[in-house]
Amino acid sequence: MITAEQFEQLYNEHQKLVYNLCLHYVLNPEDAQDITQEVFVKLYQRFHQFNPQAASIKTWICQIAINQCLDFLKAKKTNKRFGFLTSFFNPETNEPIEAALNINHPGIAAEDKEGLENLLRIIYTLPGNQKTAIILTKIEDRSQKDVAEIMNTSVKAVESLLQRAKQTIAKKLTNTEGL
Amino acid sequence: MNIDNKLDALKKIKQVEAPPFLLTRIKQQIQNLGNAPAPVKWKWAFAASTIIILALNFSIFLTRSGSDKNAGIETVVSSLHLSNTNALYNE
Repeated sequence: MITAEQFEQLYNEHQKLVYNLCLHYVLNPEDAQDITQEVFVKLYQRFHQFNPQAASIKTWICQIAINQCLDFLKAKKTNKRFGFLTSFFNPETNEPIEAALNINHPGIAAEDKEGLENLLRIIYTLPGNQKTAIILTKIEDRSQKDVAEIMNTSVKAVESLLQRAKQTIAKKLTNTEGL
Repeated sequence: MNIDNKLDALKKIKQVEAPPFLLTRIKQQIQNLGNAPAPVKWKWAFAASTIIILALNFSIFLTRSGSDKNAGIETVVSSLHLSNTNALYNE
């Protein structure tokens, strides 16, 4: 069991890492805050399961955060898929609910907004493991060895995921730029 | 198109600080963990499993109550030519 002081220290050391990782997945601060909260509650509950021989605390925290983000996105996708059964319209404003993704990443400077948001929109549509590989290597600037450890896979598998992700991104960028 | 050059633009995304109130929210949620009510899904699952068990019991009770409970024993007794009376001597 982790003490209150230990937990606060754990939070202070890793809150930035978790919050930013969540932001790269969900692309808005409100959802990123909610997921960060869930991640730290899970860390508190599961701290006794942490095995320092198996992975570093940073890797373990990243794994929990990534799983939480992917679960959130899966749930969001399912809600969107079955949303038509409940309503096409917002019950309060009676306005149609827009399916478009609203990106509000506070880490993007105004002058880079258009280009980066376009790229992030494409990354958002990638399958979970390809998305993780791209986020960790290209946004978080981690080595493929680190990414392989976090994703619990081999460096070769990470290379292959990156290759497939890049192909998809290139194809979608050509489509959007060709319009 | 060089995709690696395009993706390198992602490095321009800056790290941001988590909001300062987040730790208070997390501590509050951890405190509430102990006295949190059971999730609705669990309640429904418990109710459904109870109903299924009761229904199974009731159906078995109804189907068995009408039939001859000793039919099996009677068959064994007659096939082995055993006496099913308490009399010691057949007179």
